[in-house]
Amino acid sequence: MTFGKFLVRRLLQGVFVIWGVITVMFALRAVSPGDPVNLILDQAAGEELRQQVREDLGLDQPMYIQYLDYLQGIVVGDFGFSYQSSRPVLPMVLERVPATLELAFAATIVALIISIPLGVVSATRRNEPADYGATIGSLVGISTPNFWLGLMLILILSVQLGLFPTGRRPVAFHDSIWIALTTFHLGPLITWFHHIILPAVALGTYFTALITRLTRSGMIDELGKPYVTATEAKGLPGVLIRYKHVLRNTMIPIITVLGLQLGTLIGGAVITEIVFSWPGLGDRFIAAVNNRDWPLLQGVVVFIAISFVLINICVDALYAKLNPKVAAQ
Amino acid sequence: MHDEILTIDNLSTKFFTENGTVRAVNDLSLRVGRGDVFGIVGESGSGKSVTARSVMDLVDSPGRITDGSIWYRNEEFTDRVREDHPNAVEDGAVDLLELPESTRHGLRGSAFSMIFQDPASSFNASLTVGEQIAEAVEVQRRAHANPRSTRARTSGSNYSLKNYALSTVFPSKRFVTRASRDRAIELLEMVGIPDPVQRADEYPHEYSGGMLQRAMIAQALAGEPDVLIADEPTTALDVTIQAQVLDLLAELQEETGMTILLITHNLGVVARMCDRVGVMYAGEIVERGTLEDVFDDPVHPYTQGLLGSIPDLEGREGRLHPIAGNVPSLFEHEMEHRCHFADRCPKAMEECLEHPPEFDARGSPHHAARCYLAETTYSEAKALPEGYFSEADDPAMEQTETAATDGGGE
Repeated sequence: MTFGKFLVRRLLQGVFVIWGVITVMFALRAVSPGDPVNLILDQAAGEELRQQVREDLGLDQPMYIQYLDYLQGIVVGDFGFSYQSSRPVLPMVLERVPATLELAFAATIVALIISIPLGVVSATRRNEPADYGATIGSLVGISTPNFWLGLMLILILSVQLGLFPTGRRPVAFHDSIWIALTTFHLGPLITWFHHIILPAVALGTYFTALITRLTRSGMIDELGKPYVTATEAKGLPGVLIRYKHVLRNTMIPIITVLGLQLGTLIGGAVITEIVFSWPGLGDRFIAAVNNRDWPLLQGVVVFIAISFVLINICVDALYAKLNPKVAAQ
Repeated sequence: MHDEILTIDNLSTKFFTENGTVRAVNDLSLRVGRGDVFGIVGESGSGKSVTARSVMDLVDSPGRITDGSIWYRNEEFTDRVREDHPNAVEDGAVDLLELPESTRHGLRGSAFSMIFQDPASSFNASLTVGEQIAEAVEVQRRAHANPRSTRARTSGSNYSLKNYALSTVFPSKRFVTRASRDRAIELLEMVGIPDPVQRADEYPHEYSGGMLQRAMIAQALAGEPDVLIADEPTTALDVTIQAQVLDLLAELQEETGMTILLITHNLGVVARMCDRVGVMYAGEIVERGTLEDVFDDPVHPYTQGLLGSIPDLEGREGRLHPIAGNVPSLFEHEMEHRCHFADRCPKAMEECLEHPPEFDARGSPHHAARCYLAETTYSEAKALPEGYFSEADDPAMEQTETAATDGGGE
């Protein structure tokens, strides 16, 4: 099978997954109590006005008509209007995407930079102090809830030591990069960097610990395989044995976890975003839940589902690239 | 004799496990002449592979070479190390065990290279075969670029982690160069792989077992080694493919004049390929000599037993004669100071309770056996009573009466 066919098949599968998510969300909305009209109108509004709003929103229609309308809207990019602010949902979601993506990627990068070398060192110096340190460290990392870690980081590094800001995102990454490239002025980029470090560490710690453990155990497994001895026998430099051969094979399963986790990070950034007042999707999601703002809530969830699916397709493509046997199937 | 490319003297390799020390190779001596095909034959667990790995310094932790010397005779190499390690050089040969690890590892691929039992698991499944062979070529190319420096021949000093990181972005920093790739294709062609240009870009799972073993031989030849160590090279292959691979090895040996150390449990392979043979049992060479010496006129009852357990196609005798009993435990605390074969030996005598030294056999200087029968003849009067060892041994051992050895020719 060619790579193109592989991609098309995965995309079609993805469309079905997203349709499923939309349907479940719609069903939840249908069974959840409460009249959305109460959110839009004042308590004192008369029945006639209420009926008018229902008709405008299509809420007087049978459920299946509402469902088909909603699906039809999504296909052309119309996610409806927020009950709360009356703004269209799509821009409300999209304007928050960069902040969340920044945070999720920053956390992933923090995790990878720390965890992979740590895992390699841990595996190649097994049962030495470095290994014990890494193993205990990753156990602590896995068992620490990230909201607590976020609060502790703020308390110690921001409040007590004053090293980092306590939160917020004064400048967007793409803006700061644009300024840096056009005016050679690095100030905004440094500010951005300064603000994202703590949330990225808080969000990435669990991930760091997880990948460290996976890398360590994967490397130990791989190092015991016959091809490693054969590679040693041909006199290849140790660096190439460890990284080009062994780490490469170790990364195949890790890439899968990485992709799944990146999707989870986007969804899971919610709490970290709240702790650090980071204006991302999570922040918007919580507001939508609190206000029972169904169109907005659906918009956020569907968007997260779409990113999850796309990331997984990328991961599968990368996986096929790394593991030639998969591409052949 | 000065034309022995490899001489092993009193080599001991032990594994220090939690349950005790295992004597995998014990006080082993052998001499391999330049251009010879030397066979090491024995049952599983007799220490054949560990001997080979000791030569390559590939014994993994918890194993360690504890004693002995491995002499490698190569003028160029001797000259090179004489300056830095004068006490490793003796009589024109170098004792590898006296050299620092990095210098010893520099010999991998150029002095010794190795092919393994299972080609499918001895190649990295996620790199192309061509790339992996080219790596072996490149190691040698870089070593020869700076032949005076032993440092350049050591592992890693000329290729750092920084270089590897850069190579993922800049192709020019890659370890394997175009020239090495081309050479890899030539090597594939040399071992008889059709369409080598295309095959070089294929992955190991796209090769058949026999083709992959050929590719591994190509990889081993990349550094034009003095000694090729073949560790059970045909065990994982079909019988017809076995013959092809053996023919290829014989052909290449004739062309290049390299020395082959062939490790196998298959006496048929030995008979077909080897000039000289060492028979291993419980970590020792129990009998060695030319193929004719050992096969036609064996001294040691173990060798006789092995030869007796080969199936005879002509069916002159109805039954095979397996060697009774099992390979002994190699745990140091369980090994007694006696002939380790005595408990399975049909001709065990009182002398055998004392560990035998190596005797010249049949008056020939090249034929030696670790057995008193080389000096004396068997006499019923001194024979140990039947069941002598089973009473002394663990009761569980008694039940395993006639476990056939895998010494038969498959």
